[in-house]
Amino acid sequence: MFAEGLFSAFSVLAVLGALGLILFRHPMQGAMSLVVTMISLAGLYTLLSAKLIFVLQLIVYAGAIMSLILFIIMFLNIQPEDLPEETGRFYYFIGGIVILIPIASFLIKIMKSLPGTEATIVGNGFGGVKEVGLVLFQDWLLPFEIVSILLLVSLVGSVVLAGSKRRLSK
Amino acid sequence: MSLLDYLMIAIRVAFSAFIPLCFVAVCVWMERRGAGFFQDRSGPNRANICGFRAAGIVQNLSDGLKLAFKEDMISDHIKHKFFFVLAPIIVFFTAVVSFAVVPYADTLVLGGKSYLMQGIPVDLGILWFLALAGFGVYGIILAGWSSSNKYGILGGLRSAAQVISYEIPMGLAIVSLLVVYGTVNLNEIAQFQGKLLFGFIPLWGAILQPLGMIIFIVAAFAECNRTPFDLAEGESEIVAGFHVEYSAMKFAVFFMGEYVAMFASSAIIITLFFGGYQVPFLSTDALISYAKPVAFLLMLSLPVIMYFFAGWIRRSNISHYPRENDPRVVEANVYIKCFWGLILLLELILLIILFCKSGGSATTIFVALLQVCTFLLKVTMMIFVYIWVRWTIPRFRYDQLQKLGWQVLLPLALLNIFITSAVVVALS
Repeated sequence: MFAEGLFSAFSVLAVLGALGLILFRHPMQGAMSLVVTMISLAGLYTLLSAKLIFVLQLIVYAGAIMSLILFIIMFLNIQPEDLPEETGRFYYFIGGIVILIPIASFLIKIMKSLPGTEATIVGNGFGGVKEVGLVLFQDWLLPFEIVSILLLVSLVGSVVLAGSKRRLSK
Repeated sequence: MSLLDYLMIAIRVAFSAFIPLCFVAVCVWMERRGAGFFQDRSGPNRANICGFRAAGIVQNLSDGLKLAFKEDMISDHIKHKFFFVLAPIIVFFTAVVSFAVVPYADTLVLGGKSYLMQGIPVDLGILWFLALAGFGVYGIILAGWSSSNKYGILGGLRSAAQVISYEIPMGLAIVSLLVVYGTVNLNEIAQFQGKLLFGFIPLWGAILQPLGMIIFIVAAFAECNRTPFDLAEGESEIVAGFHVEYSAMKFAVFFMGEYVAMFASSAIIITLFFGGYQVPFLSTDALISYAKPVAFLLMLSLPVIMYFFAGWIRRSNISHYPRENDPRVVEANVYIKCFWGLILLLELILLIILFCKSGGSATTIFVALLQVCTFLLKVTMMIFVYIWVRWTIPRFRYDQLQKLGWQVLLPLALLNIFITSAVVVALS
């Protein structure tokens, strides 16, 4: 019962944060709404007994990535007059709702066909640091390494891009 | 859940919520007295209640009163008032909650049940601290940005860039520690450090990871925005930095948040590198089996320590010029009597321990209390190091700060990881 209440609270907060991200006009308010979504998602992970994913979500997404985004927004120091004019905002909003209605009704139908289960905390260290590490480095070693190479490639790419810009400006 | 369970939950949560807050007062007092000591002056010694100055602690009380009754104003040019008010709350809250996973005593076994002695009984440990250290940046960014003030934005930018870049060496220093300890759980890390190296050196992180300790402590100083890294509030350049627009209680919350962050990071440093709650040379099991001799030794040594302490109070608490019926001597006598009363109470408690059944719950509680006292003593010493550094080392220039972070600490931390991993693999 308590877990269900938490689940609904986190879900509502996540959806509200996502709505805030697209509806707020100022980028800082949008970014802060996204932080709320990230934290609520972390809460949802804990309800699935995924302790490590919970804390990684907090460190990486809610902590590091979002604080960099906030830092950039502060660095640019955007004033209200810098924001673009959004004239057809209301029509876009209505149009979006109209397009979303069939998709949402389809999703609700799927949700209703799912069997109801209790959300319980799984024991035996499921989702802990050690267990996830063992699974990651034993069963999923190759995909893990491929993903890390992908990240390395993007890192090198960003360094190359930043470096070439400086050479051009000289 | 029995009554004891509820009581233990209340005690643990209260401890990890209120001890950081109490230490704000202790830190501010230590900071002022420390500053006075290092600069060869007296420090706060005038504020008093009926002539009792309590070595300057009364000054904190008057400061608190002043800040609480000051006008709390938000100037009109601030457009995002919600974020403006939210910022100090984030800074303070993340600082308090980051202490919640630090164990302040070994797992307490009462009536066959074991209780983890930390505010939130999760085993995420150091990861939780990293997550909340990342959240603290939001408060600074929001404060600087929502102030709509050049100094505020500059201070916010400096502070955020500093905290983000020093999080990397800090995280890498933690990686090499995790290789040594093999766990992220702070309680297990503290238990690991209860062992002895070659039978006579405590197996502390400071001995196993000296380079990691230096990197971590420097990064922790930068994370707390303390001198030599307090460019965020460099008075000579940007007035007060990100909190320049804040007044009264909102400023006080920032101020307290800084000291709570200092306390929390001291606690983390102690737990990672200086044995946490472990009494040196005595692990928890040894303490439980030798509880009575330890209690007896304490009974003998407490009056001796108090005798010298009383002498020190009597020597320091006098007027610097001849006065008739020196009120400070009267004051000192009252303090000495209070302290002797406290010692008498402690002696009584120790006497009860001596007559209790050994190995019972009284002994385990006594051991836990002893460990709590050790932990708080170590944390106080670490806080003194913070103050010592603050009043000794001048402030860095901003490019020096970033160079130190990226070009010195980051390669050193990577090197440390390689060396540590090689040694650990070779030894296992």
